Amino acid sequence: MTFLDFQALSPLLALTATILVVLMIIAYNRNHKVVCTTTVIGLFITLATIPCVIGIDPVQVTQLLVIDRFALLLITLIALVTIAVSLLAYDYFDGNSGRPEEFYLLLMLSALGGMVLVSSTHFASFLLGLELLSISLYALISYPIKGLIPLEAAVKYLILSGVASATLLMGAALLYAGLGTLSFEQLGSGFYPEQATVQAYIVIGSALLLTGLAFKLSLVPFHMWTPDVYEGAPAPVTAFVATVSKGAIFALMVRFFVLTGAFEYQSILVGLSVFAIGSMLAGNLLALMQNNVKRMLAYSSIAHIGYLLVAFISGGITGGMALALEASIFFLVAYIVTTLGAFGIVTILSNSDESRDCDALENYTGLFWRRPALAGAFSIILFSLAGIPLTAGFIGKFYIIAAGVKGTLWLLIATLVVGSGIGIYYYLRVIYTMTLKSTSTEPIRIPVASGWVMLLVTATILTLGVYPTPFIDMLGDLAKSLT
Amino acid sequence: MNDLLWIVPILPLLGFLIQYVSAGKLPKLWVSCIGAGSVGLAAIIVALIGIEYLQQTDPVAYTVTLYTWMDVGGFKPGFSFYLDGLSLTMMFVITGVGFLIHLYSTLFMFDDESYARFFAYMNLFVSAMLVLVLADNLLLLYLGWEGVGLCSYLLIGFWHTDAANGLAARKAFVVTRVGDTAMALGLFLLFAHLGTLDIQPMMKLAGETWQTGDTIPTIACLLILGGAVGKSAQLPLQTWLPDAMAGPTPVSALIHAATMVTAGVYLIARTHDLFLLAPAAQMTVALVGLITLIMAACTALTQTDIKRILAYSTISQIGYMFLALGVGAWSAGIFHLMTHAFFKALLFLGAGAVIYSLHHEHDIFKMGGLRTKLPVPFWSFLIGSAALAGFPFITSGFYSKDEILLQAWAYGDMGPWLWAGGAFGALLTAIYSFRLVFIVFFGETRTEPSAPAGWAMAVPLVVLCGLAIVGGWFHVPVDAVFPEASPVRHGGTVFWVTAAIPVLGILIAWMIFLRKSIDVTPLTDSAVGRLVTRFWFSHWAMDWLYDLVLVRPYRWIAAINKDDAVDYVYNGTASLAQFLHRLIGTSQTGQLRWYAATMAAGLVLVIAILMEFI
Repeated sequence: MTFLDFQALSPLLALTATILVVLMIIAYNRNHKVVCTTTVIGLFITLATIPCVIGIDPVQVTQLLVIDRFALLLITLIALVTIAVSLLAYDYFDGNSGRPEEFYLLLMLSALGGMVLVSSTHFASFLLGLELLSISLYALISYPIKGLIPLEAAVKYLILSGVASATLLMGAALLYAGLGTLSFEQLGSGFYPEQATVQAYIVIGSALLLTGLAFKLSLVPFHMWTPDVYEGAPAPVTAFVATVSKGAIFALMVRFFVLTGAFEYQSILVGLSVFAIGSMLAGNLLALMQNNVKRMLAYSSIAHIGYLLVAFISGGITGGMALALEASIFFLVAYIVTTLGAFGIVTILSNSDESRDCDALENYTGLFWRRPALAGAFSIILFSLAGIPLTAGFIGKFYIIAAGVKGTLWLLIATLVVGSGIGIYYYLRVIYTMTLKSTSTEPIRIPVASGWVMLLVTATILTLGVYPTPFIDMLGDLAKSLT
Repeated sequence: MNDLLWIVPILPLLGFLIQYVSAGKLPKLWVSCIGAGSVGLAAIIVALIGIEYLQQTDPVAYTVTLYTWMDVGGFKPGFSFYLDGLSLTMMFVITGVGFLIHLYSTLFMFDDESYARFFAYMNLFVSAMLVLVLADNLLLLYLGWEGVGLCSYLLIGFWHTDAANGLAARKAFVVTRVGDTAMALGLFLLFAHLGTLDIQPMMKLAGETWQTGDTIPTIACLLILGGAVGKSAQLPLQTWLPDAMAGPTPVSALIHAATMVTAGVYLIARTHDLFLLAPAAQMTVALVGLITLIMAACTALTQTDIKRILAYSTISQIGYMFLALGVGAWSAGIFHLMTHAFFKALLFLGAGAVIYSLHHEHDIFKMGGLRTKLPVPFWSFLIGSAALAGFPFITSGFYSKDEILLQAWAYGDMGPWLWAGGAFGALLTAIYSFRLVFIVFFGETRTEPSAPAGWAMAVPLVVLCGLAIVGGWFHVPVDAVFPEASPVRHGGTVFWVTAAIPVLGILIAWMIFLRKSIDVTPLTDSAVGRLVTRFWFSHWAMDWLYDLVLVRPYRWIAAINKDDAVDYVYNGTASLAQFLHRLIGTSQTGQLRWYAATMAAGLVLVIAILMEFI
C-alpha cells in the first residue's frame, strides 16, 4: 500500500476513525446529543475528504477495492443519507427512555459496510462489506427492544439474510472452483469456458449469486421478508434499509456486471427480466389495498427496484450500456432521496416510546389541515414515487423508459407502464386520506433537525425534477468512464 | 439587450403571481399599477430590444436558452426563446397593444368586484402569449398555446354568475380543443419523423428529408392547420368566437381581436418552410381564408349587436391573413396581422367606451346620434372603420389589405379568382363597417349617454387612432424570415380597382344607411331576402348544423350509453387488480418457514432459467 492508496481510502478511514471516537465517547459518558453531534460531524468530515480524492481517482487499492467516480458518488450518497437518518433518529429517540447511543455506532458501521460494497472489485471485499452492512442491521432493526414486533422482524431478517449470504458464499465458491479467481475482472476473462464441468460450476454459481443479490434487493420471488422487516423496524432504520442497503447492493451489481462482462450472458438477462416483471407486478399489486403505510412503502420499493432493473437490463443491448448505466444511476439516486423522504415523514410522526410507529393509514387522516407543510412534503414525495412530472421520480422513470425503448424491451416497458398505473392508485390514496377531515386535534410537533432534513429532501426531489441537467451531465461522464 | 429577452414574459407572469397570491386583498390602485405596469415595463424592454435589433445593419436572429429541462436519450425539451423579425413584430403587438388595453381596463373594470382577478388573468394571458411567440421549439410553443387557451376560457367566463357566459367559455374551450388535438397529432408526427421539435433545425431537416408534395409534410401541415383554424376561428371551427364576446370588452380587444386569435396565423408563418413543402396544404390555407372571410363578412352585415359585428369582422379579417399565407404573401399576412391588431383593438375599445357610456347597451339600433356626445369614441370608430374598410392611402388597413389582394392576383392561375373573392369581401367589409358607424353615431339619439369616460380610456383610444393611421407606413421587419414574395405592381388597373372598392363600399353604406336614398327594405322583406338575412344572421346556420350533426347525436349516444360501456373495461381492470391483490396477498403469511421455502423454490427456478437459456 502506497500513500496514494491511503489517500484514496480517506473517506473510509475518516468514517472508521469517527466510529472509534464515538465508541470511546460512549464508554466515557453517555450523552445522546454529544454522540449524535459527533456522528454528524464525523460524517461531514468523511464528505470533506472526498474532494481530496477526486483529483487522483481512479485508484485501485490492492485487488479488493477501487475508488473511482462511481464509488465516490455512492459514498457521498451513503454519507448524506446516514447524516439524514442520524438527525431523524435523534428526534425519534430524543427524551425517551432507553439508551440510544449505540444506535449511531451501528448505523455508521452499516454505512461503512455500504461504502466498502460500492467500491468492491473482489469477492472478499464484497462479502466483507455485505456482512458489515447486514450484521449491523440485525441489531439496528431490533434496536429499541420495546415489543415483540421489532424483535420478530430482526429474527426473520437474521435467518433469511443468513441464508442469502450463504447462497452468495456458495456461489462465489463455485465460481472460484470453476475459474480459479475471486477478482471480478479476472472472472470476466474466463466466462466462456469449453469444459462442461466448468460450465456447470459457472451456471450454478451465477444462479446462487443472483439469488443472493435478488434477496438483498428484495426482488420477487425473494421479496417476502421486506414488508415484515420494514414494518417491524423502527422508522429511521427502515429508511436506512430501504436506501443505503439496497443502493449499495445495486451499485455492487453494476460494478460486477461491468467488470465481468456478465451483460453478455443472455441467460442472466433472462433471469433478471423475470425478477423485474415479477417485482413490478407483485410489488404494485401487493401495495394496492395496503392500509399500513410502512408496508405499502415496502411493496412500492419492491416495484421500484423492478423498474430499476429494466434500465439495467437494457445495458445488455449492444451500445446501450452507457445510457443504461446513466438511467440506472439517476433512478437509483431519485429512489434513494424519495424513499428517504417517505420514511422520514413516518419517523417525524413516530416516537420511540410508543409501541408502534405511526404507520396506519388512518393516522394520516387530515394531516393537510393539521400540518400543511408536512403533508405538502409528503405529497411531493408521493408524486415523485408515482412519477408525476416536475419531480425526480418522473425524470427517473422517463430515463428508464428511454433506455428500455432503446433496448427494445417491450415486454418490460409494458409491465412498467401497467405497474405504474396501479401505483398511482395507492400513492394518491394516501394524499386523499391526508385531505380528509381531521379526526384528531392533538398537535403535531415537527422537530427542528428533522424538519430541516425534510425540507432539503423535498427541495432535492423538486430540483432533480425541474432542473436535472447538471446532474444528468455529470452522470453522462460517469457512465462513460465506467464502460 | 439580448440578455433581457427572458425578462419580457417573466414580468407579466410576476404580475399574475402577485395578484393571484394576494387573492384580491391588494388595494385597487396597487392592482392597477402591477397589472398595467408589468405589461408596460415589458413593452419598454421590448422597445429597447427592438431598437437594438433593428439598428444592426444585417439583423441576425438569435436564441436565448433559459434552461434545458432534461436531456434524456436525445429528447431535450428546453426553455429557449428565439428572436427574429417575426417574433419581434409579435412582441411589439402583444406588449404595445396589450399595455394600452390594460391601461384602458384600469378604468373600464374599476367598479368590478373581481378587479384583481381580472388583471391576474390578463397578465397571465400576456405572459403565455409571449411564450407562444418566443418559443424556439414546438413543445414550448404548445405550452404558450394552451396557456392562452386557458386564459381565454377564464376571461370569457369572467362574469361567471351568469350561466350563459360560462357556456360561451365552455364552447370556446371545447371547439378550440378540437383544433388543439389536431395540432398535437401534427407535432407527434413531426417528432416521430424528424426526431426534433426545435423549430429552426426542424425546418432545415424537413427540407432535406422531404420533397415538395410528399405525403407526410402535407398531413403534418393539415394537422397544424387544424390547430390554427381552431385558435384563429376559421372555417370550420369559427363558431366559438362570436359567443366569446360574453367576456369583458377589453378581453375581446386583447385576446379575441389583437393577439390570441392571430396565433394561428403566427403558427403557420413560423412553420412556413413546412407549408412550402406541401402546396396542397398551402392551397387549403388560402381557400379556408377566402371562404371564411366572405362568410363572416356576410354575417357581419346582418348582425345588430355591436360586439358581434366586430367579432365577425375579426373572423373575416383573419381570413385575409390566411389568404395571404396561402398565396405565399407571408410578410403581407403578418403586416395585416399588425395593422389589424391596431385598428381592431381601437374598434373594440371604442365599442367598450360606447357600451360604458350607454349602461351596457349592445344593440346598435338602440344607439344613434352619438357623434357629438361621445366625440372620442366617434373619432375612434371613424378612423378604425376606415382602416378596417381599407380606405385608400390614409389608413393602415389599406396598405396591408392591398398588399394581400395584389399578391393574390399575382398567384398563378387561381390568382384572379382569389383576388375577386377577396375584393368582394373588401366591398362587404366597407359596407358593414360604415353601416355600424352611420347607425351608431349619426341620426337621431335613441339612448342618452352618461358622461364620457375619463382619460385612462381616452388615451389608449387616441394612441390607437394614431397607430391605425400611421401603422401602414411601418415596415414589418420580417424580410429575413420569409422567402421573397413575388413583386407586385403598384399602379395599373388592378391596383386602382382594389383601391377603389372600399370607397365604393362606403358610398353604398352612406346611401343605404345615412342618406337612405337606396331603400333595401323591399329586398330584405321579400321571402327570399328574409331567408337569406336569417341565414346570414345565424352565420350560415353553422351552429344549427353542428348542433344537428355533432351535439345531438353525441347527446343521444351519451343518453343510451349512460352506464358507459367503456367503463366496464376500467372497472374490470380495477376489479382484476383487487382480485390479484388478494390472491398474491395470501402469500404474505408472516411465517418464516414459508418465506424460507419460497426462497429455496426461487433458487431452483433461477437455476432452471440459467440452465435453460445458457
